Amino acid sequence: MSITVVLFWFLTALALLSAIMVLLSKNPVHSVLWLIVVFFAISGHYILLNAQFLAIVNLIVYAGAIMVLFLFVIMLMNLNAETEPQKNTWLKLAGAISGGSLLLILVSVIRSATDMTGRTAQVGEGNIGLISNLGKALFSEYVVPFEISSVLFLSAMVGAVVIGKKD
Amino acid sequence: MGSVSLIILTIAAIVFSAGGILVSKIFVKGSKNPRKGQPYECGIPTETSPWKQFHVGYYLFALLFLIFDVEIIFLYPWAVVVKKVGMMALVEISIFLFILFMGFLYAHKEGALKWM
Amino acid sequence: MNAIILSAILGVIMMFSGIWVNNKATLRWIALAGLLVLLISNIAEMYGYRIWNVNVHNMLYFDRFGLLFNSVAIGSTFIFVALSGSDINRVGKYAAEYYTLIFFVLTGITIISVYTSLLMLFLGIEIMSIPLYILTGSDKRNLKSNEASLKYFLMGAFSTGLMLMGITLIYGATGSFSIEVLNNPAIAQGVSFLEITGMLFLLVSMAFKVSAAPFHFWTPDVYDGAPGVFTSFMATVVKAAAFIAFVKLFDARMSYSSAVVDWKMLLCILIIATLLIGNITAVFQQSVKRMLAYSSIAQAGFMLFAVFSMNEMAKEGIIFYAVSYSLATIGVFAVLLKMKDFTFEGYNGLAKSQPVLAFANTVFLLSLAGIPLTAGFFAKYFMLASVIQTGHYLWMVIVAVLFAAVSVYYYFRVIQAMYFKTGEGETENIHPGFKTGLIILTVIIILLGVAPNLIINFLYF
Repeated sequence: MSITVVLFWFLTALALLSAIMVLLSKNPVHSVLWLIVVFFAISGHYILLNAQFLAIVNLIVYAGAIMVLFLFVIMLMNLNAETEPQKNTWLKLAGAISGGSLLLILVSVIRSATDMTGRTAQVGEGNIGLISNLGKALFSEYVVPFEISSVLFLSAMVGAVVIGKKD
Repeated sequence: MGSVSLIILTIAAIVFSAGGILVSKIFVKGSKNPRKGQPYECGIPTETSPWKQFHVGYYLFALLFLIFDVEIIFLYPWAVVVKKVGMMALVEISIFLFILFMGFLYAHKEGALKWM
Repeated sequence: MNAIILSAILGVIMMFSGIWVNNKATLRWIALAGLLVLLISNIAEMYGYRIWNVNVHNMLYFDRFGLLFNSVAIGSTFIFVALSGSDINRVGKYAAEYYTLIFFVLTGITIISVYTSLLMLFLGIEIMSIPLYILTGSDKRNLKSNEASLKYFLMGAFSTGLMLMGITLIYGATGSFSIEVLNNPAIAQGVSFLEITGMLFLLVSMAFKVSAAPFHFWTPDVYDGAPGVFTSFMATVVKAAAFIAFVKLFDARMSYSSAVVDWKMLLCILIIATLLIGNITAVFQQSVKRMLAYSSIAQAGFMLFAVFSMNEMAKEGIIFYAVSYSLATIGVFAVLLKMKDFTFEGYNGLAKSQPVLAFANTVFLLSLAGIPLTAGFFAKYFMLASVIQTGHYLWMVIVAVLFAAVSVYYYFRVIQAMYFKTGEGETENIHPGFKTGLIILTVIIILLGVAPNLIINFLYF
């Protein structure tokens, strides 16, 4: 077993375990902290796939900015044990069944996808995720979506002001 | 190999930080006094949970920060390839930044960035 | 490209005019002028005049179908702002921002009607949805509006997540974002299951965006809780745009994978469920606003026939349906917003107190129900005729006609209240310009009901 394979399985186990901990933690702040661990593990995966840019974005935007927003929301809502809503057992059951069926479909698809068998992720090779290649694609081929995404940011900004500003 | 040195660095970092905690756990004589867990020299002991409800006004700043954070992310690949792509890249990023600058100007004029 | 860039620029202009212009009525005139410029520029593009020549790298393709729909969407928005502009100004203090967001929604709409890349589909849907989440919650002091906004946002984000997952799977299977499947090596090897799953995810998320059952649960609450003007906008222009994106996606991708998945059967289930739930639940509503929310689900069931049959007639039909449904619903909502009481009782005796409003409202409701001599009749006719042309699942036509008959019941309840019941029929102050606008809209609907080719001919010339 090479060191990349060991790292891959370690990061996978870490990501899955901490994702489960996000759900199981009673304290929402602990959930957020576990989520940060998930993001770090996934960033590790990105580095293994030679996608440094994605790894950096994942750390800066998700583990950095979005987690701050998550913490803000938790602080805004003032969650504690007393105000935690009691969920209906039927609702939990329905959620488990529908989520389980989705999992079943996805697993069966991956099993029956004949063109995918024997193909694994290209670990440590491939240069599509390198920043220079990504930048070249972004500023030549994908420039239209790039410019249009600025309109998306702008509308989000206007929305934030409309909703968030004190009257 | 770049990744091996990265892994060695990671392991070294973990050993270095975890080692400090471990060593102090082993060698320091523990004191069981509950006062030790309290904030030191801060006057009155806390009565309720220190996790207070925040004012919703902070959230607007967090949101605006997030938007500009994502914008900055796009500047990184741009800076790497600007020489290769040439003049076009400069024009493209200028349009992008101009549109977002409009948003910033708007938020400023609207007074959204004023502290309450 | 004219409309995409110009609507974004106009959005920025509206954004700043809110800072310098304090009079809300002026803002409305600026918005109307902007919409007119947008409409003219888009029609110019239909005739081949382009302001900007942008290399879009095959991510957008400006065909007649998409451009005609852009014109329809911009024109409907123009009528919407002209009729309900004063109600937009009443929602809250950010009138300029509401117009800004409407322009940004139009940017999204003009993208998703001409996309050929799944990336652009995602961006367009997001640019269209995010302003809508804001507009839904724009009545900040109203708890129902807040709840609707949050619900819409959470459900919408979830469905967008599914869409992204679908796009990822398709990209993984084919190695490209293009919706065109020509020259694709994946076809030579047979259709990949990953791609099929991706398409299924896209089907679910698009069905969510057009509020087809069983993905409709957000619709009544959101349409009911949002400020009435924005419900009108969401239920008409935006919903029609989502349908255009839906049709374009499945037009390009459905046929070649139909050997593996029976898409027709899936869509058949969606359509029947949508018609059933929309129509039957609408019968039991007490509030006209909520009834219209359910009726919009029922109308979505009819529009889904275009995705189902997917022939030339269906493409003509969906454009015509978009026009007739948007215009009629905008009219019904414009009248609804002038009422003091949104229940059926509130309409009692409206024919006595406001005969013009009552007459126009009657025509709009008849058009929604699909009565001949109104645009709605031909819209439904095109949809059903396209299904008959395909020659499959013909029994669905009979079911659809039955449900159309059910829909007559709840639309006529409003007409009955206006004409045959006694009451005050209290309204807000009615401006004479508003009445003129309603009359013009009525004339358009009747004109299209007599000569539907007025719109469809634009597809071919």
